[in-house]
Amino acid sequence: MLKYAFRRLLGMIPMLLLTSIVVFTLAKLMPGDSLTGEIDPRNTNPKYIQEMRDKLGYNDPMPKQYFRWISNFSEGEFGKSTRFKIPVSEVIGERLPNTLLLGFASILITYMLAFFMGLYSGRKPYTLGDNLIGGLNYIGLSVPAFIAGVFAIFLFSFKLDWFPSNGSVAIGLTDGTFEWWMSRLHHVFLPAVVLGLLATASYTQFLRNDIIENSRKDYVRTARAKGTPEKKIYNVHILRNSIIPLITFLGFDIVAIISGAIITETIFTYPGLGQLFLQSVSTRDYPVLMTLTMMFSFLTLVGNLIADILYGVVDPRIRLD
Amino acid sequence: MKKKSIVMLAALMLVLSAFLAACSSGEKAGTKEKEKEGTKSGETAEKPQDGGTLTYSLDSAPEGKYNFAFYGTAVDAEVMEFFDENLIKFDDKLQAQPHIASWKTTDNKVYDFEIKKGVKWHNGDELSVKDWEFALKVVADKDYEGPRFENVVNIDGAQAYHDGKAKEITGIKVVDDYNIQITFDKARVNNLENLWTYPMNRTEFKGIAVKDMMSSAQVRTKPVGLGPFKVVKVVPGESVEMERFDDYFDGKPHIEKVNLKVIDPSLTVGELKNDTLDMTSFHPSIIDQVSALPNVNAVKYPGVSYYYVGFKLGNWDGKKNVADEPKYQDLKLREAMYYAINREEWVKAFFFGVGKPVNRPIPTNHWIAADNKDLEQFNYDPEKAKQLLDEAGYKDVDGDGFREDPKGKKFVVNFSHYATSNPTFETRAKALTQYWEAVGLKSKLTMTDANLYYDMLEKSDKSMEVFFGGWSTGSDPDPTPLWSSKALWNYPRWVNADSDKLLDQAIDMSVVGTDLDKRKDLYVQWQKLFMKELPALPIAELEETMAVNKRVQGVTFDVSGKNRPNVWWIKQ
Repeated sequence: MLKYAFRRLLGMIPMLLLTSIVVFTLAKLMPGDSLTGEIDPRNTNPKYIQEMRDKLGYNDPMPKQYFRWISNFSEGEFGKSTRFKIPVSEVIGERLPNTLLLGFASILITYMLAFFMGLYSGRKPYTLGDNLIGGLNYIGLSVPAFIAGVFAIFLFSFKLDWFPSNGSVAIGLTDGTFEWWMSRLHHVFLPAVVLGLLATASYTQFLRNDIIENSRKDYVRTARAKGTPEKKIYNVHILRNSIIPLITFLGFDIVAIISGAIITETIFTYPGLGQLFLQSVSTRDYPVLMTLTMMFSFLTLVGNLIADILYGVVDPRIRLD
Repeated sequence: MKKKSIVMLAALMLVLSAFLAACSSGEKAGTKEKEKEGTKSGETAEKPQDGGTLTYSLDSAPEGKYNFAFYGTAVDAEVMEFFDENLIKFDDKLQAQPHIASWKTTDNKVYDFEIKKGVKWHNGDELSVKDWEFALKVVADKDYEGPRFENVVNIDGAQAYHDGKAKEITGIKVVDDYNIQITFDKARVNNLENLWTYPMNRTEFKGIAVKDMMSSAQVRTKPVGLGPFKVVKVVPGESVEMERFDDYFDGKPHIEKVNLKVIDPSLTVGELKNDTLDMTSFHPSIIDQVSALPNVNAVKYPGVSYYYVGFKLGNWDGKKNVADEPKYQDLKLREAMYYAINREEWVKAFFFGVGKPVNRPIPTNHWIAADNKDLEQFNYDPEKAKQLLDEAGYKDVDGDGFREDPKGKKFVVNFSHYATSNPTFETRAKALTQYWEAVGLKSKLTMTDANLYYDMLEKSDKSMEVFFGGWSTGSDPDPTPLWSSKALWNYPRWVNADSDKLLDQAIDMSVVGTDLDKRKDLYVQWQKLFMKELPALPIAELEETMAVNKRVQGVTFDVSGKNRPNVWWIKQ
């Protein structure tokens, strides 16, 4: 197991290097740079823009720019955001807690809902309750996040006034107090539900189908023949087997937590990494953009690894060495 | 057992969410009730009341460079307006007026400034001209990375200081804490308008190297200013919390607290309606929805921006403009394209009642704007357009319904417009091309991403032979940076000796002196020339729009923007 994980980790290095080349090339292929938007004839001298381009090294040949970036990057020096003029790590650090909270809240809601709904549907398939849940799930699957977000805001913020429509915390609270935490949870709830909608729907259906499939298997018939109570069959025998695919999703969800939700965060004006990523693209803030992309790629690889390892943990038959 | 715990969990979740909902709705209901009472008592007493919280929204995340010397975006400036102060101000005719500082000059070269005594910074320091000197030196420093050196470079010796050849700026002489003399390298009409007049608190920035200032806490999270409100807390990218600054030099503000937060523009109407937002600027496209709200005033106030359709007449050779593009050199063609546009109809359709057609490259509200009766009107007249095209030799020879150029070759107007997420841009650009097609000019529209638009214009991209553009002019009326033949921003690359001469004369001390009428007269002549030559077709000018909740009182607007927030108050 350890050996396997170690091998996989080593294999990541060339992959990340290749990714870095792609990320860099794509970023630089975007027409324009961080200074193209800065046109203010009253205050900006064309000479200033030239000087800044020189200073930022945009006029150097591409390979030179790449090696400068990658060597700094590997030393943990991510550069300075061209938009905020502070180190990239600081910019990301400011947004990361928000994104983590949103991601964890969303995953918690997703798994909880999916678990209960899937369990119920799988156990009582083709009943009214199952069909109701199925119907809701298909709505959840087919409504894109940007529509769901707008509707959620309209209904729960503007009409019912239950949740705030924007921001991550109310203004005027002291950090770390109980009210502050409650306010944060209050702010994160609506975007988290919207963000988890799609995943909830698909996980529910996965779980349901798996339970139904398992309930027709031989070992279930044997258990029934032995006279094991129905409850025990479902909650112990079947659940253990059916939960496997769900657990492996956890690995991929790690990426989802960090990468945030570009659309959801933008709609809810929630200052997290997704929003930051989008803004960095439109302002050509290369250092932030490239660091974020590299971070996401790295986490995707780690997430994959975790998913594979979890597979082995929950199902000894597919343990790899 | 298991089932029970599941039910318990679900119940717990429900309780939790209900609790969350309850704690918010209770709080909000409370404030609403208060407001209701407030309107009642407010109607009887029209005297400003103290107290209350103003919620002001920003439509995109600020960069967080909260110091005038370092900021780069309009959003940051909106935040700074609340907590910092310019030493001079501009009146409704955009003329510089004494504010904290007053000045005397006899020759527009040497200025003696005197600042008010007893003006306090938020940290309790008294404002001294040394703070101003400090700011000027920061901006002139070789390590300074902001874009404002332009506003200091004209001070005598600033360039030498910037290049590291001098230890002091020779043009700055501090007399005492309240008096300072600034000498420019030469006399100019607009030396004062272009001077950097924002001081920086020198004790706050003590010990911070200039190159580190932009990322320092003094700029980003704990800014100290002179304005009516002081910053309490900054949540980066999300909100800024401010409270009243009791020692504000121009009178104690009425409003107790100001909360600025970033709200996505799509939420503006809903937030305004719910009274959770008091003030915000908004895009004209939602003006109907905002005006329909009973609790909000949709305010329009004169702006200083205008839009134009430019023709690529030449190229930028790195130092100056060269008129070397032949396609649109024919004045009759340009005139015909102007006559072909129904600006009344177009502006009504795409500017939502907040714009009007404009006839000159200067917004109407600017004091140098020429009277319409002095200028050619170019009203919509497609027949005249066709006639002009016929005269110029643009005729349909191959019978496809579109005109060919005088040599009989295919003629296509390659028009481009910038694209953002705003859906009206493409239709309004399309509408323009349809006007031209209606008089027989085949047109092709290219929408270009707004970030690249001006960059591609600079490089004379082929799809941009005719282009849509806009400028917002500042308080200094001088159009030289936009339209002189040496200006990079002169995108049509218009080269005209008379224009350059007029523009030079209008800021030449020996010609106009301090006589505003004389200066205006030269600008009027320049506008006439512009409208005769038509290097660009001025299309429309736009008013600024702002939503203000009716409980917020005392807010006034003019061409220079909002009045200072210390006189605003909230009905309670």
